[in-house]
Amino acid sequence: MMQRDSVFKITMLLPLFILAGYFLLLVGSQSAFFNFSVFMEQLSRANVLSAIALSLVAATCSSAIAIGIAIPSAYALARFNFPGKRLVDTFIDLPMVLTPIALGTLILMAWNTAFGQFLANFGLTLPFTLAGVILAQFTVVVAISVRMLKATFEQVNPRQEQVARLLGCTAFGSFIHVTLPLARRGILAAIILTWARAIGEFGATVMVAGTAKGQTATLPSSIYLAMSMADLPQAVTLVVILIVISLLVLFGVRMALERKR
Amino acid sequence: MIRIEKLISRRGAFCLGPIDLDFRGSSYLTILGPSGSGKTLFLETCMGLITPESGRVWLDGKDVTDIAPEQRHISYLPQDLTLFPHLSVRDNILFGARRRQLQKALVESRLANLLDLLEMHHIIDRTDVATLSGGEKQRVAMARALLPEPRLLFLDEPFSALDATIKRQLQVKLREINQQLGVTILHVTHDQEEAFLLGEQLAVMINGQIRQVGPRDDIYYRPATLDVARFLRNQNIFDLTIKEILPDGSLRLENDICLVAPGHAGATPGEQLATGIRSEEVVVIRPNKPIGPELQENLFHATIVDILIFGGTQTLCVRLNDSGVTVNAELPNCAMRDLGYAIGDALQVCLRKRSLWTIPLDAGAVTRKVHDD
Repeated sequence: MMQRDSVFKITMLLPLFILAGYFLLLVGSQSAFFNFSVFMEQLSRANVLSAIALSLVAATCSSAIAIGIAIPSAYALARFNFPGKRLVDTFIDLPMVLTPIALGTLILMAWNTAFGQFLANFGLTLPFTLAGVILAQFTVVVAISVRMLKATFEQVNPRQEQVARLLGCTAFGSFIHVTLPLARRGILAAIILTWARAIGEFGATVMVAGTAKGQTATLPSSIYLAMSMADLPQAVTLVVILIVISLLVLFGVRMALERKR
Repeated sequence: MIRIEKLISRRGAFCLGPIDLDFRGSSYLTILGPSGSGKTLFLETCMGLITPESGRVWLDGKDVTDIAPEQRHISYLPQDLTLFPHLSVRDNILFGARRRQLQKALVESRLANLLDLLEMHHIIDRTDVATLSGGEKQRVAMARALLPEPRLLFLDEPFSALDATIKRQLQVKLREINQQLGVTILHVTHDQEEAFLLGEQLAVMINGQIRQVGPRDDIYYRPATLDVARFLRNQNIFDLTIKEILPDGSLRLENDICLVAPGHAGATPGEQLATGIRSEEVVVIRPNKPIGPELQENLFHATIVDILIFGGTQTLCVRLNDSGVTVNAELPNCAMRDLGYAIGDALQVCLRKRSLWTIPLDAGAVTRKVHDD
């Protein structure tokens, strides 16, 4: 019996350690190309600083908009029944199954219609603009937000909201005073993961906003540019920066989920 | 106080109603029914949490059918209590008062009264409601429901998750709350003991329909339909035919056994009846014991075929010698110890006329259908 348990444990643990080792290899292999003085020198370059700043600003804006739209959308999907709900629910997943390049193409084509022209009249253009970066990232991440938040709201017992209503809350009041506080850890996890996905977004951003240095080049697109010009020190510096940011974010998610338990 | 008119409500394939109810003149109403009979759906519809398909709901003489739940001034204690886990004990209790923006001094005074009444001073400063025991959670949920001083308190099987001792303590406490605070309570439960202990008026709900409404004795001793009789654990039920209407209006019934039962309006010879008697109403008489005049009717010689021992009572399963019909008689343990009966012993049983109930079998398809189950 004990021997069977050990075999079971090893069967489960072995792939985990292989996977962790593989990621360690990926990160560790950068050390051959990493030089601290070059790293510091790269960090002082205007285009690198611009890429970091743009990535942080664009990811924060796009994920904030995505969460702002995803919270009511996810709640509606979790709680209400309405005609066409399944269709809407499936349609919202579209960005999760399409490649970011295809999504970027869809955005550009949509902006090439009368609707795009109408927005252009108000100065909202996408190529080589911050708006383009934000819209591309938003389009990619909003479905993830909705999916995560829907699962979160489904875990909140509707009876809590009903009791709150009978204790004097309006529907909106019970959402604010009961549902949101009960869902707060799930919302926090959704914010962090949405932001992490947005900061790493490449395909749709490049398609929609291009990779103009100092204008629309984010960290991922700057890595691509550096590699295409065989500028390994810059590429490795940007990768290390992205790794540090990503690890901080993932650590945050893990902390949030552990507190949830 | 509570009036329901032709109420129909649905959840999935389940249909509640049509329900007509008029509870007036009593402050503790109990709806008793088996699990899945639609009790919770009924409460949710009355509270406005579910929009009825049709029908009206009146509370305190006011039609509230189209009024939002928060404006109905009903407090609700659900089965799972649903304390807010993100709030402390105090904040849970004060939740309703804060939402309704009650005056602070008034709230503090009510809180103090409730803490006394519910004996919960020792838990009021707990920050995590997860650390409370089942009984303590129950008291917090009760205090939360009562603090805004609702017109009506709706209880949905609130004690179902508690052990018997705490359950009994809280049932007694609930009677005290009902009397001291003057709040009208509508309590749904599947627990018959609880329903009869607490309810001044009872309604029996089966398969989404109210089968019978009335004072507790009416429900207990005179079930209106066979499914009510069976749900209320009437174990002795016989299919009989009216053979004769006696001069005093009583009915002589015959089929497998012959009984004399109280008459009812419209009874006609040849009519088929379901007749029954609760097992605790069956009189057990030792052989050779003198028998009083009121036990002379419906008296049978019988033999004990089984003895079932419950907590404080025992059920004698006896076979009537003449007909072979089996009758259950329930006796308290102390009586059984005195009588010293064993399987195979001979005795006499009397199915007292005044304890018999009758239900015409052609009273409706529902009655017949349940009888056939």
